[in-house]
Amino acid sequence: MSDVFADQAPVHATGEPAIVGAGPWALAWRRLVRNRVAMVMVVVLALIVGLCLAAPLYAHHVARTDPFQSHLDATTVVNGKKVPVMQASTSGLGLGVTPIGPTWDPRHYFLGADDQGRDVAARLLYGGRNSLLIGAAAALITCILATIIGLVAGFFGGVVDGVLSRFLDVIWAFPVYLLAISLSTVLIAKGFSIGPFRLESGSLFLPIAIIGVVYIPYVARPIRGEVLSLRRREFVEAAIGLGASTWRILWSDILRNVVTTAIVFFPLMVAIDMLTEAALSFLSIGVQEPNASWGTIILDGQGLLYTRPAVALAPGIAIALTVLALNVLGDGIRDALDPRAKLRRTD
Amino acid sequence: MNRVVKMLVLGSLLAAVAASAGSSGAASSHRGGTLKLLAKAAGGTLDPQVNYTLQYWQLYQATYDGLLAFQKAGGGAAFNVVPDLASNLPKPTHGGKTWVFHIRKGIKFSNGQPLTVKDVVASFQRIFKVKSPTSGSFYAGIVGAKACLAKPATCTLKGGVIGNAKKNTVTINLIAPDSEFKYKLAVPHASIVPANSPTSDAGTKALPGTGAYYFASYNPNKQLVMKRNPYFKVFSKAAMPDGYPDEITQSFGLTVESQITAIENGQADWTLEAPPADRLNEMGTKYPEQTHVETLTAFWYAPMNTRMAPFNNLKARQAVSYAVDRNALVKIFGGPRLATPSCQVLPPGFPGHVDYCPYSNPPGKVWKAPNLAKAKQLVQQSGTKGAKVTVLSSDDEVNKSVAVYLQSVLNQIGYKASVKPISGNIFFTYVQNTKNKVQINVQQWYQDYPAASDFLYVLFGCESFHPGSDSSINIAGFCNKPINAQMHKALNLAVTNETAANKLWAKIDKQVTDQAPMVTLFTPKHIDFVSKRVGNFTFSKEFYWLVDQSWVQ
Amino acid sequence: MLRFVAHRFVSMIFVLFSISVLSFLIFFATPGVDPAARIAGKNADQATLAAVRKDFGLDKPLPVRYAVMMKKLFITRDLTSYVNRGAKVIPQVTAAAPVTLSLVLGAAVIWVILSIAMGLLAAVFRGKPIDTAVMIIGLVGISMPVFWLGEVVNLLTQSRFHHSPIFSWVPPLGYTSFTSSPFGWFKSLFFPWLTLSVLYIGIYARVLRSALVEAQEEDYVRTARAKGLTETRVLLRHSLRTSLIAFVSLFGLDFGALVGGGALLTEVVFNLHGVGKLTFDSLQNLDLPVILATVIYAAFFVVVANAIVDLVYAALDPRVRRA
Repeated sequence: MSDVFADQAPVHATGEPAIVGAGPWALAWRRLVRNRVAMVMVVVLALIVGLCLAAPLYAHHVARTDPFQSHLDATTVVNGKKVPVMQASTSGLGLGVTPIGPTWDPRHYFLGADDQGRDVAARLLYGGRNSLLIGAAAALITCILATIIGLVAGFFGGVVDGVLSRFLDVIWAFPVYLLAISLSTVLIAKGFSIGPFRLESGSLFLPIAIIGVVYIPYVARPIRGEVLSLRRREFVEAAIGLGASTWRILWSDILRNVVTTAIVFFPLMVAIDMLTEAALSFLSIGVQEPNASWGTIILDGQGLLYTRPAVALAPGIAIALTVLALNVLGDGIRDALDPRAKLRRTD
Repeated sequence: MNRVVKMLVLGSLLAAVAASAGSSGAASSHRGGTLKLLAKAAGGTLDPQVNYTLQYWQLYQATYDGLLAFQKAGGGAAFNVVPDLASNLPKPTHGGKTWVFHIRKGIKFSNGQPLTVKDVVASFQRIFKVKSPTSGSFYAGIVGAKACLAKPATCTLKGGVIGNAKKNTVTINLIAPDSEFKYKLAVPHASIVPANSPTSDAGTKALPGTGAYYFASYNPNKQLVMKRNPYFKVFSKAAMPDGYPDEITQSFGLTVESQITAIENGQADWTLEAPPADRLNEMGTKYPEQTHVETLTAFWYAPMNTRMAPFNNLKARQAVSYAVDRNALVKIFGGPRLATPSCQVLPPGFPGHVDYCPYSNPPGKVWKAPNLAKAKQLVQQSGTKGAKVTVLSSDDEVNKSVAVYLQSVLNQIGYKASVKPISGNIFFTYVQNTKNKVQINVQQWYQDYPAASDFLYVLFGCESFHPGSDSSINIAGFCNKPINAQMHKALNLAVTNETAANKLWAKIDKQVTDQAPMVTLFTPKHIDFVSKRVGNFTFSKEFYWLVDQSWVQ
Repeated sequence: MLRFVAHRFVSMIFVLFSISVLSFLIFFATPGVDPAARIAGKNADQATLAAVRKDFGLDKPLPVRYAVMMKKLFITRDLTSYVNRGAKVIPQVTAAAPVTLSLVLGAAVIWVILSIAMGLLAAVFRGKPIDTAVMIIGLVGISMPVFWLGEVVNLLTQSRFHHSPIFSWVPPLGYTSFTSSPFGWFKSLFFPWLTLSVLYIGIYARVLRSALVEAQEEDYVRTARAKGLTETRVLLRHSLRTSLIAFVSLFGLDFGALVGGGALLTEVVFNLHGVGKLTFDSLQNLDLPVILATVIYAAFFVVVANAIVDLVYAALDPRVRRA
């Protein structure tokens, strides 16, 4: 069906001089390294990932707090004075309890507390681990499954193609968030088991699997199209004519050619998946308490938007920065590999 | 739909003496204008005999009458039952089984049709024909109800509800005396509607009523409009007074935050929703005159499944009760002005309530502090240490926060706890079904049955437990034969001697609390936030704010 | 060509059918979803529960329930909600459709105009800092979660600066219909439009830029250039026209998805009672009749937009028909 909505940015248009005497991968690598904007983003990304990996270090040794435990009765230090983390109103009718705001002191509630009195900065770092993990793992699932489906459908054609394509059509037309919401309602409540595999509800793998599956058509379609056109190319027809085995042709002639497409899609899919994860968690069907992700922290912050906007602002900025870096990097990789990648995303 | 959980509030026996309602009679300069109410979503069907939400029960107070009514008055006086469409509150005869009501004359429905004995009889049959949620509980004691429950379509209540057009009386016969029957006749499910009303749920079509107002239009995605009933004349100030505003509207769809802002800006007059924690401080300091805080007879609790590990172990359950820091939970609910820590089932001020808190540190009458050491020790002794526990809650902000806190506490005392917030709409039925294997969850119960039995017997009686059913309100699956026998004794005793019965209920309350089929968390309070122009705010303990008794000019 | 059209039509019906069956099955596979107890009310007697189940046909086998529901939805058109009993489903969808359409149309106008301007600018200054800057600005828009952006907009316009002169004109969240007040309609939708379009501006500008750059290399453009036309003229007259094909087909697909309820997050954050919000609410309420209606509605637009774009392509390029 349609792989027409294309973001086609051919490299030959950039008028780069050809580099002689190097393999295609080495060439691509050299082009990528020379892309200064992309390299800046690699550094940004590395910084974010590094910070998130250091979450336990920060929580245990700097902030000295357990971000998965409620601290409703705790106290902290601001300007050398001991103050409660959850501050009950004392004026007027004395209604309401407000968590402490940002102290800008990394040792004591740098970004303030959430409605359980937990350190937002520490949760932000832990949440980033989950967001990044889900994004990367889901993108991996999407790219691998999509490559297999696209390869099989495009190469064998006929009934196989018909069945797989209809399957892709259905996922494609089923509105993304609805599918995710429906699946999560079923899976989050009960968990899931196929044979010996048992998925506990609340497991991180649930959002990963859901998001991974939902985006398969976006990658599988262009790969199928590419396989279709490769099949008609002389070198493949020649191989078939020479009596090469089907698997050999698939492996050596076709897969090698489409794998670059999958690679180009990968960082872009990570970006899309992270946004989707945030949206699902925001609709409270993604990562489950007490685990955090950037999406769930935005949700926590929504209830405090009026008095403590920092809780919602910080994770949003973190997502935007990471996704931006991934997008720029993805662009760079595509420009370097030039597979005339075709990409579509959703609202 | 937290509405399902919040639902209704019926009276208690609390106030014996009726203070005269200071708020009726609307012939002053305050009469007129439009009162604009806000709600996040519509409350479902508008049929007074089917709807079971506080949202509309509050509005039915001004639109429908039963034979009897709770007095429209502020405070505890609202617990008094007064004659409404009947001109008398009869003393039952035949050993408490026969009630004879004289129907008032000259009353008309909002469509101009006069009220007759026939309408009354048909309305009682209709309770069963439309399968009212309480048909099997409140009204199952009427003679002939059994047949009606089995075959609703052909319900006649033969020998149970008998009309006499000549004498203008309606006689109701019960199978056994029932000390709570007068309350059951005063709730909206026993409203009197025209005999020719449809015999199925009327849905979004409003049925004519005899109240001061009628429902002029209803679109569940937009708005509900109430206007003055042109045929209404005051026949009992206590049961159905005249209202102030000419029109009352309830609009649906705004988020709670926007609703509060709209009220602050004077664009609307009241919100049904509990205000978000984020705005409480602002309301209390900037708009103290517009914020009304009222005590409720209700409790927040966490039932523990007594039929599943680890909480089939008494020590494990008690450990949780010792460990929970009620002060922390009070903070989640908005601070000490909005909630009070508690350990027991019956809320303060309720019949049968005697202060009791064995789980405090030190133990005593009221809760002071948690006892973590004792809790850890009990978990150790029970041999359940390290067990996996999942805390379920509805997915709204406060319920979720309470669940997250409980999870944190369970981890502290040696369990491996996780939290599972699920959609508020399926939560309430989901946790009731034993098939879903729920260990512990966050619940609230607002009084809806006018006696101690409504808390203790409904929530912890053996007869309220139905394995495998979505309707099994004894969520803890608690069934203690000796305690249950005492409950039956208290129920029977109430017919003849209420004081003695309440003493017995107090004893039962202690025993249930000791068995800890639940952790009681706190007693909540209720906030109403109204616009500047709203005057004469009257809060009935029965049905909350009496909407039509406030003026807007 | 006719065969291609027929083939497309059959597969469209197949997809819609599968989606309705899938939603139906997912619903009944969800634990705790049985609506009987919710309809019957709190602490309902077991007999009442059974009667309600019978009344709503919930005791029948699944295929029968599916058939009855589809009949009520498409033939008698009197399917009613489980939650707001008596409320018909189809009027709910038709009432929500104009809200979504208003939101999407306004946002589309903004994103099309701005993205063409940005795409042209970037193509003209290809390789220069302006190009990079414009493209990065576009990427920033793509990278922000739309619901978060909406929240931030609300924070600024509804609370923090609501009383300052810049934002005091912003009405409370919600929709005002065009017929009741054209200006009110504009005011209530202004920020939702901007928020929704931010994502698409970036994407469309990039698509257009790439297409322009590619078209610049085509033979007929070289010819035009050789004839001595100025660069700008070549760009506007020749390259832009061909480049718009990719742009327009992408627009068709996005527009279809959004009109069908794809702007769910924007509608939820700005409290616009459109199709997306209706879908979201029905999922929250587990109100199966409304879920089915909205999901089929959404899928219909996606599938139709897809088919139209395919057909147009098939008409332009015969090779597609064989593929």
